[in-house]
Amino acid sequence: MSKIKVIPCSGIGKVFGLLARESVLMVTEEKCPNDTETLCLAHVVTGDDEVVAKINGKSCITMDGCAKYCAKKSVEETGGVVVKSHKVPDFMKAHRGEEHGTGTALTQDGWNYAEELAEILAADVKEIKGGGDLL
Amino acid sequence: MINNKIGIISCSGEECLGGTISRLAVRKMMEELKPGMVSTLCLPLFIAGDGGEREFAEKYPTIAVDGCSKCCAKRAIEKYSNQVAGSVDVAEIIGEDKALEKPLSTRHLTDEHHEYVNKTAAITCQIFDDILAKQ
Ligand code: SF4
Ligand code: SF4
Repeated sequence: MSKIKVIPCSGIGKVFGLLARESVLMVTEEKCPNDTETLCLAHVVTGDDEVVAKINGKSCITMDGCAKYCAKKSVEETGGVVVKSHKVPDFMKAHRGEEHGTGTALTQDGWNYAEELAEILAADVKEIKGGGDLL
Repeated sequence: MINNKIGIISCSGEECLGGTISRLAVRKMMEELKPGMVSTLCLPLFIAGDGGEREFAEKYPTIAVDGCSKCCAKRAIEKYSNQVAGSVDVAEIIGEDKALEKPLSTRHLTDEHHEYVNKTAAITCQIFDDILAKQ
């Protein structure tokens, strides 16, 4: 069985893209390294055979920086099955007024929020594995 | 040309170190080396965006900054928008083996990584100045 692909968008202009990226790295490198892996979204976008083979028909979770949903759309376009899709602003309510940093670096509040996003992703991984619907 | 800005787009690859360096080098260009003179765009917006994103490289001479020799940003820009005005491959600067090491959280950046970012940004800056001089 292949690992679940957890893919952030490549947002670079604002902090949301960095929050997506860092939360995904927490999952693939620290929280669930045996069950998950990430892929370069820019590589997915190229549609190269090599990356299509990795993603086509496979379970994917996406974390986008905004409502453009670039990761979700690009993964779907390349044949990945997006089982769970989130965007960073979805969980902002409890964090109103906090400064999370920039597209370059996170503040401590930013790291705390990234950790919260990573927990949401890790719960998704558990659910997908537990439900037995891992593709 | 709509103004004298120059586009710089990184692959921001999530799968390896080179992608992290490409992203941070572009952020350094935006914030420190050429503030106010750089126009950037999230790479996947070229295909996922529903606005005028595909015209980006027609509006601005654009430099692609890629994390490895797959050159996904360069290829995606040329496929969906226009020829790039210049390109940088981080793997040529820090070596392919290094570039393909595991992706790096900004929490774990060392002096060595900062040096890679500085070198990549300096080369990007040189290309930037060459383009500007020709305008
Ligand atoms: S989802 Fe939003 S932040 Fe992320 S790459 Fe797309 S436009 Fe950029
Ligand atoms: S150029 Fe390399 S690091 Fe960048 S997105 Fe493509 S495969 Fe990933």
